[in-house]
Parts: sequence; structure tokens; C-alpha cells
Amino acid sequence: MAGLLDKRLWIVSGKGGVGKSTVAAALALRSARAGRRTLVCEVNTQERVSRLLERPPAGPDIRLLEDNLWAVDVRPQEAMREYALMTLRFETLYKTVFENRLVRYFLRFIPSLQELVLLGKILFHLQEKRPDGTDRFETLVLDAPATGHAITFLNVPQVLLRTVPPGPMAREALKMRDLLVDPRITAAVLVALPEELPVNEALELHAALRDRVQIRTHAAVLNSVFPERFTDGDLQALAGYPELLTVAKTQHDRAALAVLAGTKLERNLHVPVYPVPRLFVPSFGRAAIEEIMGHLEPLVTGAS
Amino acid sequence: MSPSPLGPALAQKRVLICVGSGGVGKTTVAATLALRAAVEGRSSLVCTIDPAKRLANALGLSALGNTETQVPAIVLEGLGVSPRAKLYAMMLDMKQTWDELISRFAPPEQRERILSNRFYQSLSTVLAGSQEYISLEKLWELRRRSEYELIVLDTPPTAHAMDFLDAPNRILDFLDNEAAKWLLTPALKAGKVGLSLFNLGSSYVTKALSKFTGVETLQELSSFMLALSSMNEGFRERARGVRELLKDPQTGFVLVTGPQVERLDEVLHFQALLQQNHMEVLAVVVNRIHPMPPQRLWEDAARLAPGRRTKVEQTLAELKSLAEQDAQGIAQIQSACPLTPIIQVPRFDLDVHDLTALWRTGRFLLGDEHLA
Repeated sequence: MAGLLDKRLWIVSGKGGVGKSTVAAALALRSARAGRRTLVCEVNTQERVSRLLERPPAGPDIRLLEDNLWAVDVRPQEAMREYALMTLRFETLYKTVFENRLVRYFLRFIPSLQELVLLGKILFHLQEKRPDGTDRFETLVLDAPATGHAITFLNVPQVLLRTVPPGPMAREALKMRDLLVDPRITAAVLVALPEELPVNEALELHAALRDRVQIRTHAAVLNSVFPERFTDGDLQALAGYPELLTVAKTQHDRAALAVLAGTKLERNLHVPVYPVPRLFVPSFGRAAIEEIMGHLEPLVTGAS
Repeated sequence: MSPSPLGPALAQKRVLICVGSGGVGKTTVAATLALRAAVEGRSSLVCTIDPAKRLANALGLSALGNTETQVPAIVLEGLGVSPRAKLYAMMLDMKQTWDELISRFAPPEQRERILSNRFYQSLSTVLAGSQEYISLEKLWELRRRSEYELIVLDTPPTAHAMDFLDAPNRILDFLDNEAAKWLLTPALKAGKVGLSLFNLGSSYVTKALSKFTGVETLQELSSFMLALSSMNEGFRERARGVRELLKDPQTGFVLVTGPQVERLDEVLHFQALLQQNHMEVLAVVVNRIHPMPPQRLWEDAARLAPGRRTKVEQTLAELKSLAEQDAQGIAQIQSACPLTPIIQVPRFDLDVHDLTALWRTGRFLLGDEHLA
């Protein structure tokens, strides 16, 4: 099994609240530790990755968090400006055109333009070169939006190719699509919790990415897994303590649910599933991310 | 036992809107509120977006699309309660609602042009904000029909709860804007299909813009806007109606969130935004809280055989750690918005996706039961 280190664009998605940012932070940290210049991108959100790593927030400009690790929060306004400057080349022209009140109005109504520029900026950084011709960033970790938004977001190039007539936007969209669908470059990592809804969403996301966007799922991460602990004998022995029995049974059920969820993911996605145990720590910071990174080691390196 | 602010709301309000980011349990809270209102005697409709399959089945939504359906009384009787009014549920289909809106309000000669326009198809399915808008639009229509004493709306899973409130403003802003009028009016008067791009101002602006998007894109888009502008009056009136409905004293918001500290910013933003817009926040529901295991459990555990004792104590310690994390989050929410009632709902043993579980959730929402 190839590890993520064989790919350049790592897309992390899943249902809201499953721990996408946590997984993205751990993966980005691991990539940086492997000596790869790594950029972790969050998309127009309250930044989490830099906070999880206990660094100051990156904001809309690329910022070095630590050795080999950069972060950026990609926001529409700044991305639009950069994108427009790339196509129009001149700052003054940008100002005349894009700061024109009428034009701003017009642009708001172009379907998916916002997503286009956000995704465009991210993929631009993927292709950016250093003066010596090597890639500016060797790994790009995208902390993508949750399921529905992720599909919309990643599907923008395909939608545009169907929607807009040939022209600059279509050319841009085509380039973006080619990067996204190339399995040598792009790998999607779907995150789920061992519960019904997040698992189902991961399956839906997998199908939508495969059928609509043509992105292959590389692996799944099953987050917050409770360990198997109580045997049937243990549970029987607790019969005299109804409250403790409930506590033990809940733990037992949750652990069983995790096993079920793992099996369901594996059977439907046909990719390896990497469990990450639920951490019981007073606050969720860098130490927790490092611990999770350890559990994701085989996902990153491909070692079994 | 303090009374829940949701009790009077269920008895008096006409519309409750459950908001919050994805994965916090909005759908469950929305369904629970409608269920309780029906049991207590007000005919209710829960309008949900994409419920869990089991919940959808429990509500009789398995095979139904965009229409309201009654939850069979017999299902509710399974709870051991006999509801005094009817409970209805529907699953909102965004695309279909858009199509219905166009079919109903576009002039007949424009209908096909709009429905088959490529821009429309992405507007109605993928355009950011359009889902939020259309769910409010549906709410407004349901409310106007007045068939239900209470409508509970579950909102689309926005990345930010705030995006939702802004949707009607964005539409209104667009339609009412001087710029849009200036763009559209000359073309409308001339009865042309498509805008004169020169209306955009000096021609080099237009040229640069088309360099950015392509000339054809601009032309196609302008013809779409023109077709849509035939609906302007209707749209504008409805968007205003939607905005009024949000501020109506008979409408209330329930903000659903999780106890995690990282959710705090969102709660605060949302709270501020609602107040600024004169909308009423009835309560912040903090969902899926781990309660602190009581001391007596440790005493019980101490009496177990050593191997089992270790396992049980480890489990208790883990629960304690989870409870401490959650308590931290709740304390922060409480101190950040001291005037808003906070309702705590525990995390149940398993996923909450059937009517029995909804009933249990309801006991906490309505204050019949409290976390220790």
C-alpha cells in the first residue's frame, strides 16, 4: 500500500465535527517531520490547525509555523484579488475593474466563482516553483470543508466545465480538474467517527468524489475509537451494580460500534481504515496532535 | 428545577428555527421540539434537511420527497403518550423547491428559459447561500399557508451558523441594488435578450472583465439575469417577507452546539448577529454532554475483584476526563453569554435516531430532567 508521502495533495474531509482539522494537523506535522516542505490550507473558516499546533494563527498570508511547515487560511476576498491579479497581471487594472461597484455586483452572481478562486489559489500553491525549479511546497494538506460543501467545492472545476463557455474560466477549470483527478498527485483521506451518521457520510462522500469529481479515496481515518475492554464475563459480574453495569455497557457498546464502523468503512470503501483512539486529555493541543500523528504513521509512510 | 424557556416557546411561537454548524445534532433537536409540541396539543411540522435514515423512517419520511407527511399516530403511541395534535414531517429538497419557485413565479414565456439555463442549474444546486435562502423561502411559504400551529425548521449544515441569516439579505441586496437596476433596466426597456456590456461603464472595464471570465460567459450570464429579472418583483417581495418572518415576535431561534471549547466563537458570533438583527434567541442547546460520574460509582468499583476493578476505574477516569472537558466548554459559553438560557442535553449511550431517543432528548430540552 502506497503511503501518503507518495502523493502531493492530501485532501482531508468528512462530516462536520469528526476531527478533520485534528487529522489534517497531524498529517501536516508528519509530512514536515519527513523533511518535506509542507503547506496546510484551511478554507475560509475559523482557523484550527495553527491553534492545535499551539502556534499563532496564520491568517490569509502563508506563514511559517515551524521547520518545513507553513499554514494559510484561504479566504475569498484575498483569493479573489490574487486570482484576478494572476489573470489580469496589473494592479491598476485590477483596481479599476474589480473595485468597480458594478463589476463587484456582477461577479457575485457568477456561480461558484468564490469556490473557484479559493480552490484556484490552493492549486496554484501546489504548482508554485522555487527559483531552482523545485516545488515550493512538496506536500499540500487541504483541511477541506465538511461533506456537502467539500463535494461542491471540489466539484467546482467540473461544474464550470459544464457551465461556462470556452474561455479563461474554462481553461482554468480544466487545469484544476486535471490536478484533482490525477491519482499520482491527489489523495483523499476521509475522516469518520464510529457512529452511524459520520460513517454514512463518509460512504456518501466517497461515492460522490468517485462519481462526480473522479477523486479516489486513499484511506479512511476512524477517529475517537474506544478500546475494547469488557468481556461478557465482566459484564455478567457487574450485575449487582446496575450503575457500574451501565457505565461498562456503554463503554462496551461504543467499542463494539467502533469495530462495526471500521468493518463497514473497509467493506464499502475498499481502502485501509486507520483507527485513532479517543484521547482523554484535559485540553486538546500539541501533545494530543503528536500522539495522533503516531497512530497515523502507517497511513503516511505506507508501512504496515 | 428551573423551567425551560422552550416550554412557553412551544406553546406560543409559530416558528422555531434550529441553527448551528454541522454535526451538532440540529436535526434531532428540531424533530424533538415538533414532537413535543404535537404531544402537548399543537399541530406541528418539522421541516428537516437530511435526517439520519433511522430518524427519517421513524418519522415516516422513508419514501417521501418535498411534501409534508403525517407521522402516524400509532408510531407516537409507541412512546406511551397519546399526542393531542398531529405531527407532520417533511424533508426539504432544495433543487425541487427552487424549480417550484421558478415555475410558479416566472412569466410563462421565461420559465423554460430559466429552468434550462446552465447558470440556473448551478444556482439551484451548488451556489453558496442558495440552499440557505431556499429553505427560508419554503418556511415562509409554509408559514403563510398557516396550516400548522408550529413549524420547526432544521437548517442546512452551514460551515458557519451565521451564513444562514445572511441569505435573504444577499438576495434582496442583489435585487434592490442600484447597480443591478442600472445594469438591467435599459435592456429590459429595449426588450433585448442580453445586456449591453457597455452598461458596465467604460469599455476597458468590460474588456478586462471579459478577459477574466470570457466574453461568452458574460453574455450568457447577462441573459440569465435578464430572464430572472422578470421575476424580480415576486422575488423581492418574498425575500422581504422572509426577512420579516425572521424578526417576527412569533419566531424564535434555538442555537444548537456542542460543548467543545472550539465551538465557542461560533456561539458568540451568532448570538451577537441575532441580537443585532432583532431576532430572538430562545436558548443555546449544548448537546451531547458527558455527565460527571458520581462519587458512589468509585465506591462501588472499589468493591470489585482486582482485574475488573482496574477496568471499571479506568472507564470512570475516562468519563471523568470527558466530563471535565465538557464542563470547561459549558462554563465558557455561560460566561460569554450570561443572558441567554443554556440547556444541557447529555450524550446518550448510543446515537439518537429514533422516536424513543427523541422523547428522552425532549425531557432535557423541556426541563423535565436536568443534568446533575
